[in-house]
Amino acid sequence: MAMIDIEDRPSSLWRDAWRRLRRNRLAVAGLVIIAALVVVAVFGPWLSPYDFLSQNLDLRNQPPSAQHWLGTDDLGRDVMSRLIYGARTAFMVAVGVTVVAVLIGVVLGSIAGFYGGWFDRFVMWFTDITMSVPQLLLVVVINASLKQPISLWMEARYMETLNPIWRNSQIIDFVLVFGAMALITWPPYARLVRAQVLSVRRRPYVTAARAMGLTNRLILTRYVLPNAMGPLIVAVSAGLGTAMVLESAFSFLGVGVTPPTPSWGNMISDGLRVWTNYPHLLAAPAAVLAVVTVAFNFLGDGLNDALNPKGQK
Amino acid sequence: MTLLEIKGLTIDIARDSGPARVVDGIDLSVTEGESLGIVGESGCGKSLTMMSLVGLLPNRIRATGGKALFGGRDLLKLSAKELRKVRGSEIGFIFQDPMTSLNPVIRVGDQIAEALVYQKGMTKAAAKAQAVELLALVGIPAPEERANAWPHELSGGMRQRVMIAMGLAGNPKMLIADEPTTALDVTIQAQIVDLVRELKDRLKMSVVWITHDLALIAGLADRIAVLYAGTVVEDAPVEAIFDRPTHPYTRALLGSLPTLAGAAMERLPSIPGTPPEPGRRPPGCPFAPRCGFVQPSCSQSVPKLQAMPGDRRHKVACPVVLEGVA
Ligand SMILES: Nc1ncnc2c1ncn2[C@@H]1O[C@H](COP(=O)(O)OP(=O)(O)OP(=O)(O)O)[C@@H](O)[C@H]1O
Ligand SMILES: [Mg+2]
Repeated sequence: MAMIDIEDRPSSLWRDAWRRLRRNRLAVAGLVIIAALVVVAVFGPWLSPYDFLSQNLDLRNQPPSAQHWLGTDDLGRDVMSRLIYGARTAFMVAVGVTVVAVLIGVVLGSIAGFYGGWFDRFVMWFTDITMSVPQLLLVVVINASLKQPISLWMEARYMETLNPIWRNSQIIDFVLVFGAMALITWPPYARLVRAQVLSVRRRPYVTAARAMGLTNRLILTRYVLPNAMGPLIVAVSAGLGTAMVLESAFSFLGVGVTPPTPSWGNMISDGLRVWTNYPHLLAAPAAVLAVVTVAFNFLGDGLNDALNPKGQK
Repeated sequence: MTLLEIKGLTIDIARDSGPARVVDGIDLSVTEGESLGIVGESGCGKSLTMMSLVGLLPNRIRATGGKALFGGRDLLKLSAKELRKVRGSEIGFIFQDPMTSLNPVIRVGDQIAEALVYQKGMTKAAAKAQAVELLALVGIPAPEERANAWPHELSGGMRQRVMIAMGLAGNPKMLIADEPTTALDVTIQAQIVDLVRELKDRLKMSVVWITHDLALIAGLADRIAVLYAGTVVEDAPVEAIFDRPTHPYTRALLGSLPTLAGAAMERLPSIPGTPPEPGRRPPGCPFAPRCGFVQPSCSQSVPKLQAMPGDRRHKVACPVVLEGVA
């Protein structure tokens, strides 16, 4: 490799990747859509024209109009406002689930890969077991078995403290949905991180770090993990999309976010019942879900190419 | 005074078919302030011997016998934790490939400073200042600026200097350099050799320099040990090696040294045949199958290092030539 100009300061590894990503139109499109989703999710309450819960029984199942751009649903609620709030649900679930799953994956995968031995065998066994459990079944079981006790426990806390936060049923929803989904989505992250760590820990700079007498913990956190992260970034981008679809799928099947909290999944589920008469009630959430999922995949592919320029087809 | 004394070191690789011996009873010593060159063909066990001293052998490879006394303690008997304290602070290392021996995501100054924080419990600020001093010590121009550079912004020679600074950070009594110039241009190789010689004198440390290139270290080493298939076959002061090479293997090595000054040798000159695979050494002298002076007695017992008549410091493991001299 030729000597690179010293003025070329900030880590140009990442800058190069960013330059390559920017040249990829699909990835940029994906990034723009995801950015829009984030804005909508964060500022939803200020952007939406109506309250997502307010019903207007005189205006049920309205087709799109000047007042209600995407029409209203069977309780006269504004579809657009519900979609916007649904973005918030989807975003929170996707980020929450992915953060928890990635944390579990990174901790288990890196320790397993770095130290090996019995812990490695245990983690590999554990990922195999987890991956062999049918996802839907696990979520249904967790929902069915934990929802009741958690609700009771929260009600008891409410009685003790009279703090209304304990009566917020959304919290139970999110904790259960997050929890259940994180518990089924961490194994691929753990495997990926383990494989990366196994290869990075053989690199000469890791041997050099050992030869300097650095502790294992320092070597793992400063030398191995940061250099093992590239593929994880790609996986996280794709994983966020998958988590959104998963949330929608569970809500669609009635084991995800409980109504009236809007989720694209339960909106699709509601729309499906009446789509022959009111196709917009199905079309709007389905289209949004499809576009966002595709956006994550475009970004994931783009990141993959940008971070592994040699692997380009 | 003797700083390091290796006696009868054996190293085995655990294979599915049983252990295979790669290092077979090495005796070596390094005195304080001395520089020892270790030469030998690829795979003869040079790196493993040095790595075994500080507990850095790869998985499934173990030092199974012998002693390695360093400052009075047997390094082979220390716990993992004690060995970690020896690494860097008592024995520093420089490795072959400066391009990949630096962590790409840490600025070079911080990489040195981090080691100082952990080796010596320095504060961050003090460690940073010391890192800049070390960069200056190894001849890096504008060290304050370069301390903020990322590894990929430096040339190979500069990176090797950074590696040397890291090797010196803990102020070790001994620096082990494992083929540190193999990956560099010829002109830079010479600069690195000069730098290490100068640092050795200035810091009064011992240096062990592993290489394929006898010519390169002629000016650096006080003494040279020639390794063959995991054994020391000749160990002598550097002048004696060049003026009176005695072991047939050393002679073969020197016989084909390039005479043209500056001609680079990546690998040792070729000698017909190949060294034995680990675990498949012939009975007796391991060099016998390739040796031009071979006698029937050579395959009877493994020759021991013996002093030459008239020169106690010149040791050879070949009874055949020793008899011829006597
Ligand atoms: N990680 C490993 N696993 C299995 N065998 C190994 C490993 N490392 C080294 N060996 C074997 O041990 C022997 C000695 O290796 P060593 O690295 O000490 O050689 P060397 O003299 O340093 O060679 P070179 O000049 O190529 O660096 C070689 O035959 C090699 O095949
Ligand atoms: Mg080697």
